[in-house]
Amino acid sequence: MAKAISRRGLGRAAVLLAGGAMMSRWIPSASAQDQARIRFGGFVESQEQLKQTIAVLEAYMAQNPGVEIVPEFTSFSAFTDKLATEAAGGNAPDMFSVNVDLLAEYAQRGVVTSLDEYVPDPINLADYADGGIKASTFDGQLYAIPNDAIAPAIITNLASFQEAGIELPPPMFTWEALADVAVQLTEALGPRFWGLEDAGGNYIPCDIFLRSMGKSMFTPDHQFGFEPEDLARWYAYWQDLRDRGGVPPGDVQALASSDDPSTSGLVNGRAAMNITLTDSFAGFQALVSDELVLHLLPNGFEGGDMKQHHYSYAGNSTAVWSQSPHKDRIIDIIRFMHFDPKGIELYYRQSGMVPASSAGREALAKEGSEADRKIVDYLEVLQKDPAPPRYPGVTGMSGMLRRANEGVAFGQLTPMQAAEQFISEAKPRL
Amino acid sequence: MASVKANPVFAPPLGRGRKRSGVSTRQNGVAFLFLAPWVCGILVLTLGPILASLYLSLTNYDLFTAPVWAGLANYQRLFFEDARYYQALKVTFTYVALSVPLKLAFALGVALVLNRGLSGLGFYRSVYYLPSLLGGSVAIAIMWRQLFAYDGIVNEFLLQFGIDGPSWISNPVYALYTLVTLSIWQFGSPMVIFLAGLKQIPQELYDAAAVDGAGPWRKFLNVTLPLLTPIIFFNFVMQLINSFQAFTPSFIISNGTGGPADSTLFYTLYLYEQGFTNFQMGYASAMAWVLVAIIGTTTGLAFMSARYWVHYGDESR
Repeated sequence: MAKAISRRGLGRAAVLLAGGAMMSRWIPSASAQDQARIRFGGFVESQEQLKQTIAVLEAYMAQNPGVEIVPEFTSFSAFTDKLATEAAGGNAPDMFSVNVDLLAEYAQRGVVTSLDEYVPDPINLADYADGGIKASTFDGQLYAIPNDAIAPAIITNLASFQEAGIELPPPMFTWEALADVAVQLTEALGPRFWGLEDAGGNYIPCDIFLRSMGKSMFTPDHQFGFEPEDLARWYAYWQDLRDRGGVPPGDVQALASSDDPSTSGLVNGRAAMNITLTDSFAGFQALVSDELVLHLLPNGFEGGDMKQHHYSYAGNSTAVWSQSPHKDRIIDIIRFMHFDPKGIELYYRQSGMVPASSAGREALAKEGSEADRKIVDYLEVLQKDPAPPRYPGVTGMSGMLRRANEGVAFGQLTPMQAAEQFISEAKPRL
Repeated sequence: MASVKANPVFAPPLGRGRKRSGVSTRQNGVAFLFLAPWVCGILVLTLGPILASLYLSLTNYDLFTAPVWAGLANYQRLFFEDARYYQALKVTFTYVALSVPLKLAFALGVALVLNRGLSGLGFYRSVYYLPSLLGGSVAIAIMWRQLFAYDGIVNEFLLQFGIDGPSWISNPVYALYTLVTLSIWQFGSPMVIFLAGLKQIPQELYDAAAVDGAGPWRKFLNVTLPLLTPIIFFNFVMQLINSFQAFTPSFIISNGTGGPADSTLFYTLYLYEQGFTNFQMGYASAMAWVLVAIIGTTTGLAFMSARYWVHYGDESR
């Protein structure tokens, strides 16, 4: 064998192989000049949202045979890690979902491209919800197109209230009243059932709690908007509820993942109320046979002022990778999803997502499902007296808040220590 | 090359030295050519990234912008300023200390039972090996979640006896032990190796022991165990290294959080969180290098201890 293959022969073979490899790179690109293969990475809140997103992308591909859109969708937490890895390797999807915190992170690092040149033509955001546009803007530039309008809400199982013979609280109510209702529900429907799920590790209700005290989680200039005692009061609120039985103990609550409705107590028949965002509502309702409604979070404390503190914003916006060679094509895909009647119908109908544009919301209210209508109505209430927008936080803060809350729930930290732990972890990232 | 020549096994046969060496140079050339893809692979895909991570461990690197030299700052933060790092170390060492001996003992026990001339041995061997094949997979971790959750099958069973069980996977007191149980259950791979080792022990030794009046327990202690020590040692080292790198079970069962309250925060999970969730790849690289040192040291200690308890059949005493 050693004689059969001479060194020169091997060299020739190597040159031929390398040449072949180069040729094979040439051939498809020559015939693919008018073709585009676009990777679309994103996070979805429910199976319904995934189904509708894929449907609208397929409709676009049917109209544009040269374009292939490769969907790469997953849950929010899995998505953030995946995107970070891909972006670091210079291989980010051409277009991808961001939320307000990710947008800030990626805009300042140059991963996403400014979209100002595409507004107002072909992307006209004139009737888009202001909170959504603010959530897609960083340092005065638009970096993403808001896909949806979302807001915080208590998803509430009406049947539990009826079974317990307890009245639903009025829309404007206090944090103390919420705690009392939760405890009453547990007393009526327990054991192994609780009035409310523990939201002590959740950023948005914490922000609204702080705003009810005249503070906020973050300020527009990326600083904390609260003192340690204020956050300690938040953790003490949930510890008090745990002690009184209004929310599940720490080990039961730890089973629920914040971005998977199927693991929640509300879906698993362990709780009557879950504090979350409106974009999960359709996903929750699809998994529960009882009728669910959206209820406002508390807006003040006993003896204090009652003021609307809920903001609507974009939970999911689409950004464009700064190195994508297909920017114009991506803008056209976004245009189809947001402004083409066929695209709008496919993208939003029964997806649980509510359009950021008021025209889109009106259309959805007329033609959408019962769950869609409930979300639109809920958001309309918030548009009448909008609170200041949601300010960007820091990546990883959900984990920091949750760990501190668990520390209190499992008796490892006092509320004050939990607040200090959160501050010490989040501060270096501001 | 000098060491190769000094080794009698590799010494060329006498009388053909000169001629052979000419041929072997040419053959070596071809051999190196064929080896080239592999060598390139290991240099570019393995050694390169390893050395790059050593450099990155001395920098602040956020994945997106160029790394900035930081000297030993990451290591200083790791050892003196990061309480969660010590929690991750504690969790990982507890996991290793419990899962490795328990898994080996369980694997050996099952291997001994299977070695008793059972009919259909191949079938049982495959069945017991199955959890190891599936064990590292996401599906099994999810199944474990269903079994040991608050309203899972285990608690439903306990409820039949009036016991209101805790949520085994989401209570900091039990969560880590649930993961240890999952690890023990994946005993197939060491079991198969033990089984092969047991087959190698000569029957004469058992016969001789029987003639001397040894019972089953005595045979196990004085024949089986000493002759199996090289296999035990091999399995021990492999499991030790694997356990330090455990990631999937905690990632899936705790939804990637290492929770509740950091009770299942494996070293690799914390490393992953720092690198990919908090964008601190320099810090994560430093953690990786400390893990290499930890695994290297514990493996080295295992090898040093081997001379006191591992007996090779061809050794003369």
